[in-house]
Amino acid sequence: METQHVVPMDLMQLGYAYGLILLSVGLARLRRIGQEKRLLWDSLRMVFQLLLVGYLLHLVFAARSPLPVLLMLVAMTGFSLQIAGTRIKKRMPKFYRVVGSSIIIGCGGVTCYFCLLVVGYTPWFDPRYLIPLAGMIIGNAMNGASLAAERLSAEMHDRREEIETAICLGANARQASEPAVRAAYSASLIPTMNTMAATGIVALPGMMTGQILSGTEPAVAVRYQIAIMCAITGAVAITSFLILLQGYRQYFSDAHQLKG
Amino acid sequence: MPFHPPDRSQVMLTVDGVRAVRRSPEGNDVTLLDGISFIACRARATVIIGPSGSGKSTLIRLLNRLDDPSAGSIFLDGRSILELDPLELRRRVAMVLQKPFMFEGTVLANLQRPFLYRTTEPPAADSPEVARAAELARLSSAMLARDARSLSGGEQQRVNLARALIGRPEVLLLDEPTSALDRPTTDQLAATLNDVCRAERLAIVMVTHDLRLAEHTADHLIYLEQGKIAEEGVGAEMLARPESAAFRQFLAGPAASKE
Repeated sequence: METQHVVPMDLMQLGYAYGLILLSVGLARLRRIGQEKRLLWDSLRMVFQLLLVGYLLHLVFAARSPLPVLLMLVAMTGFSLQIAGTRIKKRMPKFYRVVGSSIIIGCGGVTCYFCLLVVGYTPWFDPRYLIPLAGMIIGNAMNGASLAAERLSAEMHDRREEIETAICLGANARQASEPAVRAAYSASLIPTMNTMAATGIVALPGMMTGQILSGTEPAVAVRYQIAIMCAITGAVAITSFLILLQGYRQYFSDAHQLKG
Repeated sequence: MPFHPPDRSQVMLTVDGVRAVRRSPEGNDVTLLDGISFIACRARATVIIGPSGSGKSTLIRLLNRLDDPSAGSIFLDGRSILELDPLELRRRVAMVLQKPFMFEGTVLANLQRPFLYRTTEPPAADSPEVARAAELARLSSAMLARDARSLSGGEQQRVNLARALIGRPEVLLLDEPTSALDRPTTDQLAATLNDVCRAERLAIVMVTHDLRLAEHTADHLIYLEQGKIAEEGVGAEMLARPESAAFRQFLAGPAASKE
């Protein structure tokens, strides 16, 4: 059936689409917001990055072997970790070690569970499934992770009096930092909960719309979306949990002293 | 006139040659305390007085291991505090911090708080432990049910004191306990501390810049300036006849609040 195929997009069509960017630049210029150059530059960057990633994916798909797929996932994790690290203002001590190990365990575990048990496609490394699914899981978990780490750092700073009072009353590091950890954990889960609550009403999720566009039955696309939302929630919850489990200790010495 | 312990067996806390060096944000080593040695005895109040920046708060934080010194030793009843479990040490050496932090909930919940950190069951409102701590800190039983965060500064400081005393510590540390209190409240706290010190045979170590509080409580007075002990002696005598020029200047200066 004709509808089962996506309409191909040639350069001419892309050019028409890019016309909308040029229109935006024109409007920006009209209002003299001084961001025209940046808008133009960022749009070119977007085009370049996507073309590059498309080419890379083409190579990875063509290779039909697990190694390039895994390398791609490692690179994605590395980049998102680096972005999270530079975005956070006050990093916790040993940030990369704590967040990196939590992401690897949290996202790795959830991705394996999801791909092998829930979706159950073969071969396990099939990039058509593994890359987008792992990508969504890692991307969302990284957001939760940076929120958890950032909020923990702020709470440890703001609750200094409370924590030292508890220490003076005989609390250990875990007990004294419990309110801070609790606040950070809740902060890390809020965006995921908001997304779940708004899904289907405020916004149609990207993966579902993508699948529908490429010809998947809406009923199937919806099921995929439900499943990936569950995976994302699990990944965010596990990763943030692991970060906070290791994270609060970084603020204390072995003698349960609040550092710095 | 140096301070002499009533008897060696009464010595509870011994501070020996303590030095504290901290790295400044610019990367330089700054000496905050240098060569500090003194003793604190049972049923006596040792008051450390000095201008702000003299290292008083740095010093008192070392005594329950909120921080550790760079050099020197501290002994609790003859044992180095480094050998003790830090949690056990902080139960034996209680501390009242400058700003009374009240946990959410009632005064009673605040008094029960230290027990939540142990495996022991928190004492009930009508238990002898709660009654004893409330009495020592002069908290009325009606106050136990009130929301701790709605209390006045003076009331909160008394809850703070009762909370520190409920676990029957051997040493009580106080860091500027009256900095947020007015004069009548300060006088009340001084009287309370004197009673507690004698009744419980507590060794009190208090840091303050409040001369009036020092005058009313100190058995043993230590004047700290620029991280060193500039003068030390029996409280009343030392205040009446300061020996060092530094201490005389402090007594006369605006830094010493006589309010």
